[in-house]
Amino acid sequence: MNEQPLERTTPERGTEGASPRRRGLAGWADPRGRRLGGLAFILNRLTGLGVLLYLSFHLVVLSLLARGPSAWDGFVSIAGSPLFLAFDVVLVFGLLFHGLNGIRVTLVGFGLVVERQRAMFVALMIVGAIALAVAAVRIFTAG
Amino acid sequence: MTQAERPSAGPIGTTWTPSNETPRPTWGWILQAISGVLVLVLVTLHMIANHFVVSGGLRDFADVVAYLSNPLVVVLEVCFLVVVTWHGLLGLRAVLFDFGLGPRAESAITRAFSVLGVAIVAYGLWLTWTITSYH
Repeated sequence: MNEQPLERTTPERGTEGASPRRRGLAGWADPRGRRLGGLAFILNRLTGLGVLLYLSFHLVVLSLLARGPSAWDGFVSIAGSPLFLAFDVVLVFGLLFHGLNGIRVTLVGFGLVVERQRAMFVALMIVGAIALAVAAVRIFTAG
Repeated sequence: MTQAERPSAGPIGTTWTPSNETPRPTWGWILQAISGVLVLVLVTLHMIANHFVVSGGLRDFADVVAYLSNPLVVVLEVCFLVVVTWHGLLGLRAVLFDFGLGPRAESAITRAFSVLGVAIVAYGLWLTWTITSYH
């Protein structure tokens, strides 16, 4: 398969993607000199890595289910604590940003809405902010 | 297409400024986009079904067993596991490849992540089977 991962292409500084001159973390995590698209790219990666870290813990925690009712129900009783709920809000933020920005990245990648993608990004982020607010209220108020 | 011949507007799908040249998406990117769309649908279902419609936001053990007694739920949750594992590992692979590793390290990562992906799905299937056998 003639596959070339998209992140290995060579964008210029100030556009999205990793810097061609600086490899590794400094290549993509440095926000200086970047415009909105570059910040979206960084945040897309950070939220992706964060959600992946969460999913790792999630898989480990779910193994409690294999140990029967008392193990799982013990976890459920501590998962409603304010600290856990705060992490849940952070998780929902990560999912919303990564998912909504991903809609833009996918459409633009297939050549759609390329010219209006900045407006689309802003609109998606407004939707995300509203959804995050609703989710946060529900997380902290649900019985 | 070599690196030097590629349009300079940025990675495909992440270009902020449109380029005169239209870059062609790579297969890796297309698979990541397809799995991304599937994850978006399935994670939305997963979050609503497992948390937002559940009293207290989390099922107790008996409710988990009852929830998984529905075959449609099992199919959807297993699909979610497969697709999210694929999307997450391919994404992490892309991040690691950005560190400019050599071709040997890159193929080692690809092989290790393939094994890891299969192991994660196998674990999920085993866990699902274990929980449903409580029914």
